[in-house]
Parts: sequence; structure tokens; C-alpha cells
Amino acid sequence: MTVGKFVVGVVGMSALLWGGPLAASAHEMTERYIPVGQSPGLSGKYTVIGKIQTTNARDQTVAIVGTTRSWSAKVTEKTKIWLDRSKLRLTNLKGTFSDLRPGATVEVKPEGHLRGVFSGPAEWIKVQISASP
Amino acid sequence: MRSGELLSSAIRYATVMCVPSVFLAVVGLSACKTTPPAADRQGQLIAKGRDLFFNETFAGNGRTCGTCHPAENNFTIDPAFIATLPKDNPLFVAEFNPDLKENFENPALMREFGLILENLDGFDDLKNQFVMRGVPHTLGLRTSVNSPGGPRTGWSGDGAPGDGSLRSFAVGAVIQHFTKTLNRVPDVDFRLPTGEELDALEAIQLSLGRQQDLALPLRLRGTVPKRGQEIFLDNTLGKCNRCHVNAGATANFGGGSLGNANFNTGVEDLPDQPARLTGKVVPRDDGFRTPGDGTFNVPPLVEAADTGPFFHNNAIETIEGAVAFYDGEAFNKSPAGRALAAADPRGVGIELDGTQIVAVAAFLRVINVLENIRQSIMLLEASLAASSSEEKRRLLQAARRETEDSTRVLEGGGLHPDAVAHLQEARRLAEKAVRRVFFSRKHTEEAIREQKKARALLVE
Repeated sequence: MTVGKFVVGVVGMSALLWGGPLAASAHEMTERYIPVGQSPGLSGKYTVIGKIQTTNARDQTVAIVGTTRSWSAKVTEKTKIWLDRSKLRLTNLKGTFSDLRPGATVEVKPEGHLRGVFSGPAEWIKVQISASP
Repeated sequence: MRSGELLSSAIRYATVMCVPSVFLAVVGLSACKTTPPAADRQGQLIAKGRDLFFNETFAGNGRTCGTCHPAENNFTIDPAFIATLPKDNPLFVAEFNPDLKENFENPALMREFGLILENLDGFDDLKNQFVMRGVPHTLGLRTSVNSPGGPRTGWSGDGAPGDGSLRSFAVGAVIQHFTKTLNRVPDVDFRLPTGEELDALEAIQLSLGRQQDLALPLRLRGTVPKRGQEIFLDNTLGKCNRCHVNAGATANFGGGSLGNANFNTGVEDLPDQPARLTGKVVPRDDGFRTPGDGTFNVPPLVEAADTGPFFHNNAIETIEGAVAFYDGEAFNKSPAGRALAAADPRGVGIELDGTQIVAVAAFLRVINVLENIRQSIMLLEASLAASSSEEKRRLLQAARRETEDSTRVLEGGGLHPDAVAHLQEARRLAEKAVRRVFFSRKHTEEAIREQKKARALLVE
């Protein structure tokens, strides 16, 4: 074996290392409780904060107009949607696509840390709930 | 200005003795007009971070960062330390706060095994969806957090929300561990740290412990630790240095440093895991991400011997047991073990016999003690420069604790009884220096000499 096995091993170990996503490894679960615009190191830098302009349920897309740019977010089965009810002093909840309504203020994080990419799948979307329905 | 004088002394000493900047942090210093602006700002930031780390509850349930990362226990907790805490310590908040009685902690597993409950896979099913993890120490983070794959925090490398950095880690910790109720509403159940507070908390954490990795091999004395180091570095035998380069937390398989990395080493597949033996529900921990890929982060080893129990689930109590794990079936059948075997000419992962396991552990014990001696000398010397008697006492007591750790770690492995004698004397002298008003300096200087004598018996 020697060289061949060594190569296999090194490749194997490398795969163990590099097989996973290379983006920063955030704990997405506590992210749920962080209000819109307050995610450390992300908000305003790697996320888009704005209002929903339109939604397309068939394509599962959301058009967002931010203060400086617009963005078209694709909601995939991996996308987490959270209802940020912190302004109501209530616990944040999991949401669904139907909670994404035009006019709502949202914060969207694209998958990975993609600067300057204004469309694509969203990793998570926070919907700010500022009044009881 | 007392703190200013202390800082001046510290900086003078640091300049002369080439002590790293962490020195300023360890002694918990604040500003001084005579210091260079950058050092001054960093010193202030670290001092602020120290205050936040140990005193700030973020309007939550009473816990601080120091609740689980106490300075007096190497910034971690274990069952022996937990047993010394009063019943009303905020660590036990689930035992006396009715809102946190269910699904916040498991008090029995906390007290018996030092395990903390984490909802790493979500908060939707608190009764069934959680993991039980030990508390990693926060020493040497400057050497361990960075990774080409992004910053790695916590046992599975994904402990922080936001950008996943060490700076952001405190936000997730407050949400998970500081909350007054399980609603976890900001400004009701806790407040989130501000940006400035996150900067300060990052600064204090990065300042703790080693600021750089060792450069192995060391010229060790003692037959068994010396052999242990050889096995550790031998990529055909111990293979430890592949994932723990220089006994740190970075990996290198021959193509340069890969930084801090994650591996699936099969710890979750260990039979008879202590927490599960109790019959309590302990769900399988799937590690990195959600759903997890089964990998966990590589911790540094220099600080290992006095910060057990070991692995993310505190599955193993002793350093010998932790080394022996890599000779076992759980590791050798794991993805990491199989990859090591594939790279081995004989097709084996790690195969060590009892004497070799003990030798590697002896090596780990000795390098831990060398680090403790380094810290102890630094603390003792800083105490000589302290003008405040309170600060002086704090530094001497910290040095005494480090020395007690050194003694315990060597005695636990039956190692270097001659060095232990010097360390015991150093401890006695530090204690005397705390108690005595007169001759305190003399006792402190003698304690430093004893530390140096002990070190000379461990390494050339």
C-alpha cells in the first residue's frame, strides 16, 4: 500500500474536514430569539433588512426592498422562518411562507456569506411582528 | 492611582521579560496615563471584559459567564467543584426558579457529571430535543478558535449565533443559559449584550491562558513522559500530533496547518456512557450543525490534564482514560479512526498498549504542569508589582490554585515526586505571602524560586 493508502487516508481526513460547509458555523437555533437587525456580525453586513414588496407562493420567492438595495429571496425547505415578536414582549415563534406578507418588515440572511448577491436561497428570514393580529 | 501603578509595573515587567500581552489581562488591569495608547485601550477593554464576564447577569436569571467558567476552577466546572457551591448558586437556578424547573437543565446530571443542557437542534420540542454537554474551559482560545472553515466555538464548533465568531458567542450563551423563563424574550427574560460589551467579552476570553502553541518536542526529563512525547509525535504510532499539532487544537496532515477542525471520533458510540447509565433521557448528540454531521471540535491538550472530565459529554473522568479512548473500538470504527487506518501502512488506526497509554497521559500531565508553572510565576511576579493589597492577595491566591493543580496533576500520575516537593513548598510560601504583611515579598520571591526549581526537574 504505502503511498496509495496514505493518499486515500489524507483525502479521507481532508474530506472529513472539508466535506462540511465552509461558511462560519453559527448556532442558528439561538438566532431565532435575536430581534430583527440585532444579529451580531451579520445584521446589515450580510443580511438584507427591508419590507416585503411581493411574494410568489408558487415559486416560493419573496421580493424585499431595503433602504439601499432590493433582493429576491428564494424560500427553500431548509429556510427557517421566525416570527420576531420581541416588540410585543412575546416569545418568538416559528413561521411559514404564509407569514411572509407584503409590507412586513423582514431580515433575510442569504445562504453562506454572499456579499453583493441580491437573489438566491435564504438561510433564514425573520418577520417583525409589531402589532397583534 | 493604584491600578495605574500596577499597570505601569506590569508593562515594565512585560517589556523586560517579554511576557505576552495576556499578562495584562490575567492580572486584570485598567488604564494608566503613562502607557502607550494601544496597550492602554486593550488593557481597559480586557478589564471591562473581566468585569462583565464575572459580574454581569444581563438582567437574566442570575448567571454570569463565570458561573460555568469560574476562574478558580480553570474556567470550567466539574462535579467536584459543583459540590462545593451553595444551594442558591445561580448554576442551580433550575432547582429554585419555578419557571426553569422543567426543560432548562437536568439538575441530577449536572451535579453528578457536570453536564449542562443545550438546545442545539432547536427550541420546538424542549422535552425531547436537547443535548447534555460538559463545559469546555476558555483557556488558550487565541490558539484554538480560528479555522479555515470559519471560527469554531463550543464543543461542536457552531456555538455562536450571528456570524459564528467568538465575539458573538456571548449572545447565544445569554439566550440559552441566562434566561428567566423559557419564553426567551429579549428585554423581558434577559437583555442582549451590546456591541461594546461583545468586544470586551471577546477581549477577555482571548486573553486567557496561552497566547501561542508549544513547539514540540520539548527537552523533557523523566523517562515515561519523555517516551509519551515520542509516542504522541509518532505519526505511525500515537498519531496524536495529526489533529493536535504541538498538543494544541489545530490539525496538519502534512500539507500545512488546517487550523482548528471538526472530526467524528465516535465518542457518541462509547458504550456505558456515565450519563446514560443513570437511565435518564440523554439524546444522541449529533454535533456540528442541524441536523448534525456527527463531528465535534478539536480541543487543545496542553490544558487537558487539569480540566477534565473529557470529551463533549464528560464521558471519561481521567486523562489516562481519555488517551485510552483512541485505542478503543468506538474511535477506531469512527470516520476519523477509519481515515487514520487508511493512511497507515498496516491498516490500523491507533493501537496502543497500557504502558503507552499511560506514557502519553504522563506527557500530557507534564505539559499541563509546565503551563501551570508559567502561569504561577507570572502571577507571583505580578503580585510583587501590585500596590493594592486586595489585588496582591487575588494574584497570590490564583498562583496558589495553579500550584495546587500542578501538584495534583503530577501526583495523579505518580510523576516527578521531587518536583512535587518544590511545588508544595511554593504553595506554602504563596500562602504565607497572602497572610503575612511583613516578609510577603520575601515569601513570594522564594515561591518563584521553588516554581523554577520544579520546572527545572520537568524540562531541561
